[in-house]
Formats: sequence, structure tokens, C-alpha cells
Amino acid sequence: MRALIIIFFGLLLAGCSREEPIYHMQSFVFGTMVDITIYGESEEDAQAISNDIIRQFQDLHNRLHSWRPSEVTALNHAYKRGKVPTRISADVADMIAEATDLSIKSKGLFNPAIGELIHHWGFQKDEFKPAKIDPKRIADLVKADPQMVDIVVENGKSYSTNPTVQLDLGGYAKGYALDQALLILRRQGVRNALVNIGGNIIALGQHGTQPWRVGIQHPRKPDAIATLDLPSGWAIGTSGDYQRYFELKGTRYCHIINPATGYPVQGVQSVTVLISPQPNAGVLSDVTSKPIFISQPDARAAMAKQMEVKDYLVIESDTKILASASMTKRLNWLDKQAEKHVVETH
Amino acid sequence: MGHKSRMTRSTISIKTTQEDHRIAKLTALAIGLHVLEAIFPSPLPGVKPGIANIVTLFVLLEFDFATAAWVSLLRVFASSLLLGHFLSPTFVLSLSGTIASLMVLWLAQYLPKKHFSAISISVLAAFGHIAGQLSVVRLWLIPQAGVAYLIPIFALAALFFGCMNGLIVARLLRDQQ
Amino acid sequence: MWWKRTSDSRYPKPLAGDWFVIVTSCLMVLMLLNSLWSHQPANRLEVRQGDQIVGVYDLNQVRSLSFRGPLGISEVVIQQGKARFKHSPCSNQYCVHQGWLSKAGQLSICLPNHISLELLGAQKPYDSLNY
Repeated sequence: MRALIIIFFGLLLAGCSREEPIYHMQSFVFGTMVDITIYGESEEDAQAISNDIIRQFQDLHNRLHSWRPSEVTALNHAYKRGKVPTRISADVADMIAEATDLSIKSKGLFNPAIGELIHHWGFQKDEFKPAKIDPKRIADLVKADPQMVDIVVENGKSYSTNPTVQLDLGGYAKGYALDQALLILRRQGVRNALVNIGGNIIALGQHGTQPWRVGIQHPRKPDAIATLDLPSGWAIGTSGDYQRYFELKGTRYCHIINPATGYPVQGVQSVTVLISPQPNAGVLSDVTSKPIFISQPDARAAMAKQMEVKDYLVIESDTKILASASMTKRLNWLDKQAEKHVVETH
Repeated sequence: MGHKSRMTRSTISIKTTQEDHRIAKLTALAIGLHVLEAIFPSPLPGVKPGIANIVTLFVLLEFDFATAAWVSLLRVFASSLLLGHFLSPTFVLSLSGTIASLMVLWLAQYLPKKHFSAISISVLAAFGHIAGQLSVVRLWLIPQAGVAYLIPIFALAALFFGCMNGLIVARLLRDQQ
Repeated sequence: MWWKRTSDSRYPKPLAGDWFVIVTSCLMVLMLLNSLWSHQPANRLEVRQGDQIVGVYDLNQVRSLSFRGPLGISEVVIQQGKARFKHSPCSNQYCVHQGWLSKAGQLSICLPNHISLELLGAQKPYDSLNY
């Protein structure tokens, strides 16, 4: 009889406390929404770890801010004054080195040194109003040709050989933060988590018995256009003309500027890249979508190859969608109309 | 002046055995238990220990299925008349549950006594009972798919009270010997 | 400690087959709990009068609703992701005593007054959105 009572209450408890051990935290950092999901940890632990990650993010955000006083603005200030070596912290130095490598690899299409141009277009703000476009100024800025290779780092100090170099790590910092988050999670012994910074996502482990599943935003509708499974260690990033932009006289000016022309990219709505597990998967997921986005339509596949991206999706419009063969296999289309217009590249 | 009745006195005598007396008493007990249970409020609608079923089971194992069915159905009708909800939804639920559990009992009575005591039979009959009731609920009373939400709690009750009643019956049977 | 009195010597021990039935039933109950008792948060409330749906309401608000049934008016209240019967003209008050519903699939019914509440949730087809 005793055994029965125990069984009964055991079952009742088992049924009641069958909550999924999943923890969600939403926060606002890097000027955007940050979403941390942790699976399989107690609520206390998950909360503590998430708080820790958010603190790190906040710290990074403050140190790398493009227009509010930060280490980056201090460097930019020094770069403007010419060859005056200024203190640079070790990790920022590493960031610059990595960004430089990627810039070279992308044949200059990924160029975090064009802070001046970005500022001119008004995207170095939290909100954007249509900028007063000054073609002459833009031409001058392009001609000045600020490049990452103009930056010199030696003995813990940095200066620039080109005074028009102004660092804007907007297209890099979120990816870097993702990699840092993964390190923290692993160090804390978390086995399953998903971190989303402004749409850039990295996965660790699985959602219980299923892989983490991510949706890809439709560039023009408030729904997901497709979903795919994100295996452990993989990262996904998208550059889109719908994230930060303004419209002027019916033309959309987005925040992704072609360094060669000085003007925002037109003619493509989004580029999504999938990066396989590696120490800088987060950085790559943030960075590599941009040169593909900026490339001419017929040069995109080549640029993807150049950036060593196997899985990518290019949405030029509702009726023109490109996907690599490898990516097509992964995509689960929610928008059946869109699916009809997919062309596979090789 | 003698008033001798023209009518022939006739007596209809029904021979009742001791067994019949016993069954009648048990039926009365079943009705009593059912009514008693109905008076006590239960925290959840429809979840009750079903102690009247102890009698049904006892009769099944002491006598036979036919007798148990008779006692059981009589109990359902009589109780509902006494409680004043004859032909109401409550009655329909009670009846459907009873018929379903009787169907299960009809099969379960053949389980080898060597391995299955009254406990098994009681648990199985309890599940039959809730299956019958939930079917009526879903098909007639609350025709929405959301009723599935109620199943787990009924199943848990069937398991627990089925065991409890079964143990009691087993003990009663053993004490009979 | 009344249960101590009901030790095995007082009640017959369950037989092998009994244990089989008990264990199988336990497993079945667990499976039912697992599959039928949802852990998904809900975002809408569906109200029925009898078997007719009389309204679907967003749960993300604070709102009071009234529904008329054969016994009278049942009052329902929605509060940021939860809903419940506040008042009902039935005698048992089961519906009111059930309290707050907060997960998809949960049901609260006032049978005498023919009003039922069911919480619905959207099945998000992904864990996070890339944009």
C-alpha cells in the first residue's frame, strides 16, 4: 500500500514538473536584441551564466563602440592625427589583425576602415534619417582609399599611415562576441545553448534530442522564409538591406556600403552564410556575408568560394533566389512561392 | 354470520436462497456506497475513488460475471434515482463507465488466478471505466479535441484507485476463506 | 502513521501479473502526461458556448469578458499570458477553482453553464530567428 502511494505521488510530480529544462534570456546590447537560450541547466545556473555573458557583451560593446567614446574612437582619433603611436589592448590588436586578413581575402570588399563613409551616410547613429548625399564628398572619401593594411600595430601601440582610416567594427564585433560567448559557455560546462546577437546566431549542442533550428527572416515580410538545423558549433549570419536603412525618393539606402563606390549596395535584399565549427565561426558568420552582398550578381558565387563559404543563400528579390547546392540541402522552405524561384549555384 | 371470503387465498411464494439474500445485501451496500461517495465533494470533477466497485469486484470473484453485471447495473440505476439525476448527463456518464468496465471485466475474469489477483482486474476495469466516460464526454458533452487534456489526470486516478480498491477486494476475499 | 498498519501482512501481496499490470499502467500514465500535457506557452484563448467557438482572444492583454449560458453569466479574465474563470453561476464552482490556465492545450470547463476555455499556442517552427 505504501509503495502505491509513493508511485502515485511520484507520477503526479513527474507529470507536473515536466517542464522543459530550457532557459531564455533577452537583453539589449550592441544596439540590438540579444537572445540567449540554455538547455539542460538549472534555472539558477543558466541565469548566472547568461548574466555573465551579457556583462561581457556590454563590456565589448563599450570598448568597441564606433561613435561613443571607446577604445575604437580613441584609436580613430589617433589615426586622424597621423603617425602618432597610441596604446592598443592586446585583444583589439588581434581583432585588427584578423579583420585585416579578412579584408585582404575579400579583395577589399569587407573594409572596416571606411568609418568616415559610414558616418557620412548617417549610419553611425542609433536611428537613421535620410542623409544629405554629397557626391563630391563621397568621391573624395573613396579616393582617399582607407584600408586595414594602413594600420600598423607594434609593441602594444598602433598608428595609421593613412589619416582617413576610421575603424568601424560594426560588421565584426557581433561575430567576435558570439565566439566569446561560446568560450564562456564551454568553460562553464554548458553543453547545449543558442546565442543570437542581432540575428547572428551560434549553436552549441542541441535542443534536447533535436538540433537547434533557426529561421531565416524573409527580407520583405515579417515571417521566416525558411528554416534550417544549426548543428553544434555552426554559426549563421545574414547581411540584409532591411536591417538598417533609410528611403529617399523611393530608393532604399541600406547600411552596407561598397567601399569601391562609396554608395550603399542596391539590387540585393539579403545574403545568408552558414559557417562550420571553427574558433572564429562567429566572426566569419558576421564578416563573410558582406563581401558576397557587395559583389556583382555574377561574381557572388566566386566571392563565396574566395571566402571559403560553402553554404550561402542570396535573395535578390521575391523571384530571384540563389543558393549553393550544399545550402539547398539544408533549407526547409516555409515560403513555398519563394521556393519555386530558387536557382542552385555550383 | 360468517364472512367467508369467496376468493381463494393464494400465496405466491418465491423461494429465496441464502445466496440471494446475500446478493441483495451486497447490492444495497453498493448503492449505499455509491450514494455516500456522491455526497462527498471531490476536488476534481469526475474523479472519485469508486468504492462501490469494490462490491462489483467482490461479487464477480465470489459468484460470477452475470451476477456482478446485474449488481453493477442495478446500482447505477437505483443510485441515480435516489440521487435525483436519473437520465441526466451524470447518469449517462455513470452508465457508460459501468458498461465499459463490465466489458473489460468480462475479459479480465479469465486471467489466470495464479498470477493475477483482484488488483489487476480492478486496475483494468478502472481504466475501462474512464475510457467509457471520456468517450461519452468527447462525443457528446464536450465535442472538442482539447478534452485530451483531461486524460492524464483520469488515468492517474484510475491507476491509483484501481489499485486501492483491488487490494481491499483481495483482502476481503482472503478473509472470507 | 496509518499507512504502517497496512503492511503486507494485513493486505495480500500483489502477484507477478499484478505487478506487470501496475508497471505497464504507470508507464502508460507517464506517456500520457508527457504527450498530452503541453509545456508550450500559450498566446490565445478560445472560448466556446456549447460546441460553438464564440471568440478567440489574444492573451497578451488585461481584459475581462462575460459569456452568457443557460445558468447565467460566466466571467472570464485574461491577464498577460494567463486566463481563468473569475465568476460562474454553477453550484460546484469547479471551473473557478481550477484557477489560472497558462499553457497551450489547457482546458477549463463550466459544464453546467456550457462555457469552456481552451488555451492555444502557436507552434514556432524554429528556436531563434536569423536576420
